[in-house]
Amino acid sequence: MELIIGGAYQGKLTYAKTVLGIPESEVCDCGAGDIDLSRRCLYHYEQYLYRCAERDEAPVLPTRPDAVVIADDVSCGVVPMDSVVRAWRELCGRTLTAIALQSETVTRLYCGIPKRLKG
Amino acid sequence: MKMLFSGGCKNGKSTTAEDCARVLAGDRPLYYLATMIPHDEEDRARIARHVQSRAGKGFTTIECGRHILDALEGVDASGSFLLDAVTSLLNNEMFHDGIVDFEAGERVAGELCRLCDRVGSIVFVSDYIYSDAERYDDFTENYRQALALCDRELARVCDTVVEINYGIPILYKGELPL
Repeated sequence: MELIIGGAYQGKLTYAKTVLGIPESEVCDCGAGDIDLSRRCLYHYEQYLYRCAERDEAPVLPTRPDAVVIADDVSCGVVPMDSVVRAWRELCGRTLTAIALQSETVTRLYCGIPKRLKG
Repeated sequence: MKMLFSGGCKNGKSTTAEDCARVLAGDRPLYYLATMIPHDEEDRARIARHVQSRAGKGFTTIECGRHILDALEGVDASGSFLLDAVTSLLNNEMFHDGIVDFEAGERVAGELCRLCDRVGSIVFVSDYIYSDAERYDDFTENYRQALALCDRELARVCDTVVEINYGIPILYKGELPL
């Protein structure tokens, strides 16, 4: 498993497609619809986590051993006023930390440039 | 050498960028491209702090809140430039005269790349505003997306890309001249 994190608009999906060679057909955009664990690349995984926070449900974790999880880092701002957003932010932190632990590779994108944090 | 500095608010980006721009200048002219257009007392105080911070460091200040390529008129382009900051330049280009210009991101990114190409050395300062959980209105989100485009384009054309964390540089590309 591989985790790609970074702030918004930092070039994470472009990295997954160009460097890891993931085709569009293998990308599940969790911001546009339900999560599909059969796809290799789970894009906007943080948006899936938002729906979990809204419903107060435990998230499903990627099952494919070659899964690539892409998530926006939403952890660095002020504690949000809204309780759902607050729960979401914490759920993102906990879940992505767990995914990072299980991942062979963790990469952070910064201004389009990858930096390997693990592996 | 062309450099991009980004990072959090009041983390020491400008000070480190000033030092780099001076080293890169050598014997050539040293210019400060000031992009903030002050709107209130808080802005004027912020500008005064920056003026004081670079006093005596040999910068010639060029105020240029919009149309950044105009800043090169009548200057020695082979010199060393410090542009502080991409953030306020984009703000001025996107929000002015009571309108919101949604094309500003692509235009400013292009102008900054051309500026980068035309000068001897330059250090760009931007701001990293991409890692919070806030859900913004469309104007703010569009601005954020446009600034990220400028940052990614500058990161592509610059030799060095640095994140400044509390005065400590983390290198993503290239090297520091210090």
